[in-house]
Amino acid sequence: MSVLIFMKQPANEKKGKAASKGKRNLNKERTKEKILAAALELFREHGLEGTTTKQISRKAGIAEGTLFNYFKTKEDLALFFFQKETNDLIRWYGQSARLHDAPLPEKLFAIIHRQLEYIAPYEEFIGAVFFRSLQPRSKLSPLSLESQELRLKYLRFVSDILAQAEEKKEIPPIGELGAYAVGLFYMGIVTHWLHDPSEGKQKTLALLDRSLNLATNVLKKGGWDW
Amino acid sequence: MGLVKPKRSSLGRATRLARLGAGLTGSYLAYQLQRPFLNDGEKEERRQALGRKNARQIREDLQDLRGPIMKVGQALSMQTHLFDADVVQELAGLQMQAPPMHGSLMRAQFKGALGKYPEEVFASFEPEPFAAASLGQVHRAVTKRGEEVAVKIQYPAIREAIETDFRMLRTAGFAARLAGHLKESVIREAERGIIEETDYRIEARNLRHFATQLAPLPFVRVPKVHDDLSCERVLTMSRARGVRLQEFLQANPPQELRDRIGTGLTRLFFFQLFRVQALHADPHPGNYLLDQDGTIGLVDFGCVKYLKPEIVRCYAQFWSREWTNDSALFAEIIHVIFGPEVSPTEPRVRRCMAEIRSFYDEFHPLDGPSRALDLADSKFMDGLNALAKTLLKNKFLAPDFLFLSRTESGMCNLLHTLQARVATTQIAREWMPPIRKTGG
Ligand SMILES: Nc1ncnc2c1ncn2[C@@H]1O[C@H](COP(=O)(O)OP(=O)(O)OP(=O)(O)O)[C@@H](O)[C@H]1O
Repeated sequence: MSVLIFMKQPANEKKGKAASKGKRNLNKERTKEKILAAALELFREHGLEGTTTKQISRKAGIAEGTLFNYFKTKEDLALFFFQKETNDLIRWYGQSARLHDAPLPEKLFAIIHRQLEYIAPYEEFIGAVFFRSLQPRSKLSPLSLESQELRLKYLRFVSDILAQAEEKKEIPPIGELGAYAVGLFYMGIVTHWLHDPSEGKQKTLALLDRSLNLATNVLKKGGWDW
Repeated sequence: MGLVKPKRSSLGRATRLARLGAGLTGSYLAYQLQRPFLNDGEKEERRQALGRKNARQIREDLQDLRGPIMKVGQALSMQTHLFDADVVQELAGLQMQAPPMHGSLMRAQFKGALGKYPEEVFASFEPEPFAAASLGQVHRAVTKRGEEVAVKIQYPAIREAIETDFRMLRTAGFAARLAGHLKESVIREAERGIIEETDYRIEARNLRHFATQLAPLPFVRVPKVHDDLSCERVLTMSRARGVRLQEFLQANPPQELRDRIGTGLTRLFFFQLFRVQALHADPHPGNYLLDQDGTIGLVDFGCVKYLKPEIVRCYAQFWSREWTNDSALFAEIIHVIFGPEVSPTEPRVRRCMAEIRSFYDEFHPLDGPSRALDLADSKFMDGLNALAKTLLKNKFLAPDFLFLSRTESGMCNLLHTLQARVATTQIAREWMPPIRKTGG
C-alpha cells in the first residue's frame, strides 16, 4: 500500500469481487504474478516509461495480446503490486507475535519499515508511480475508484491496530481519523525515503522513530503545546 | 560588550523545535566537549576564548535558552577551563545518552549497516540491550563460531543529526552571539571530534592499537574486534567478562582483592600515560569491568587521547620533582604548560607550583620507604580536590594538563570507591620517561 490511502471512505463497502477462489482464479493469479515479476525486473533495467508491453509479455512467456487480459495499463500492474504488498504486510503482521504486545510506536514503526523493505528493491519504479499517482485521473490516485478496495483494506488494518492502542489506553480515542493520519504519514515517509541519500536510508529510520514517538507523546498529552 | 538576552518570542519556538526534533544532538556535543578532543597549538586562542567576567553570564544566558543549544554552550564553555571551579563541577555531570532503540528499529539499523539481520549472522542474539552507550546501545550475542561478543549498535543518522545541529548553531545567530567568546576554529574542532566518534571503525582501530600496546600487562583484557561483523555504525567485539565497580563492591571483595585491582588500575594508568603515551577514554567506572580473578576488562575506545611526549615528560615532573632545584627545567615546564608568553616568575605560577609540590610531597614522598597509599583515606581525596580547585581557579592548566589531571582525579576517585591500598608512587616511577631530554 503506497499512495492509495487517504481519501474519504464511502458509505458502503463493495464486497470483494474475487470472493470465489476457484482453480481458474488461482491460475489467473499465478499468471499475474509472473507478469509482475517480469515487469518489475524490466522496470529496474529500463525504467517504467522505457519498458514496452512487448518486452513484458516476452519475458513473462505469454502472448502480448493475452497481457491485456490481465492488465490493461501499467497502472493496473502497479495496483496489483500494491495489492500484493498490502497482503504481504497483513499476513506478516499476523505472524509477528512479538509485535502484538509492543507499544504503538514500535508497531507502527515495524509496519512502515516492513513496507519500505518491500518496496526497496523497486525504488525507481516506486518513484515513478508516486509521481503518476499525483495525477487525478490516474488509477493509482487516491481519488480513483480502482484503488478504493485496496485503500480500505489498509485503513481497516491500521484502524484495528489503533483501536487496540486506544483500548490499552496508550492513546486517547482518535477514531477514524487516526488511520488516515497514519496513511498520510506513510506517504510523507515514502517521499522522504525516496530522497534520502544517507547510507542505508538511516535518516528515514531516525525520522520514522522520532516522529512516531513524538506523535504518540503528543496524543498522550492530548494536544500540541507550542 | 555584554551579551544580548535571548528574546523568548523569536527564539522560543525555534528552541522548542530543536528540542523536539534534534534534542539528542545537544547532549552529544556536551558529552564530547568534555573530552580532550581539542588539538594543541591553539592554546592561547582558547585561553582567551572566554573572558572570565562573561563566563557566568553566558552560562545563565544559555540556560535560559534550554534545549540542545544550551548544552552545546555549556559544554563549550567548560572546555575553555576559564570558569569558576563550581561551574566546572556543575558541567562535568553532563552525560550524553542516545535515545533507546526498540527491537524493530535496532534490527532495521543493524540490517541497514551490515546487510543482514542480527539473527542471520549470529548464532544467538539478545534483542534487549544490556548496556546503554553514548551513541547507541550494546547487545549480547554469540557468533556462529561460538564466541561471546558485545555488539554496539549506533542510533540511526547520528552523524547527520550532529551536522544539522552544528549548522543550526552557526546559522541561528548563536555563533554570532558567542563570537567574541568562541572562535569558529573551536567549534570546527569540536565538530570534527564528535563526528569522528560516530565512526566505530576508528574505535576498532583504537582497540587494536591498545590490544597490542597493552600486551605487556597480563592483567588487562582489551576486547578483540570482529571485523566481519563491524562497520561504521556497528561494532562487534569479544565480550569482556567482569562487572562494573558498583556491582563488584556489592559482593564485598576482600581487601587483598581490592588492593590487587587497585594496583592493576594504577599500573594500567601509568603504563598508558608513560609508555603508550595515550589514554583510553575517561576513567568512568563503566569502562572497567572487574573480575574476581583480579583482572580488568577495558571497554570504550571511542575517544582516545594521544599525548605529546613533552606533555608526558612535564607531567612526570609532578612525580619526580626535579624542577624544585633545577631552574632551567622549571622554566621548561612552565613553557610547555603555559606557552612562551608566561613568565616562570609570575606569582600565580609560583603559587600553583608550590601547591603541587606540597601535595605530592605529602602523599607521594620521594624519600623514605615506599609505602602503599590508602585511597580510602578521605584526607588524600580532600587534598586532591583542593589542589584541583586551586589550579582551576588560577587558570593554571592548559587543556592537555586539565585533561590529565581530570583523568588522574577520576582514577583516584575510582580507587577511593574501591578502598584500595596502592603503592602509587612506586608504580608511577616504574615507567617514568627519562627526565632531561630537551628537543625530543
Ligand atoms: N566488549 C564489551 N564487553 C562487555 N561489555 C561491554 C563491552 N563493550 C561495551 N560494554 C558495555 O557497554 C557499555 C557502553 O559501551 P561503551 O562505553 O563502549 O559505549 P560508549 O558509547 O563509548 O559510551 P560511554 O562513553 O558513555 O561509556 C560499557 O560501559 C560496558 O558496560
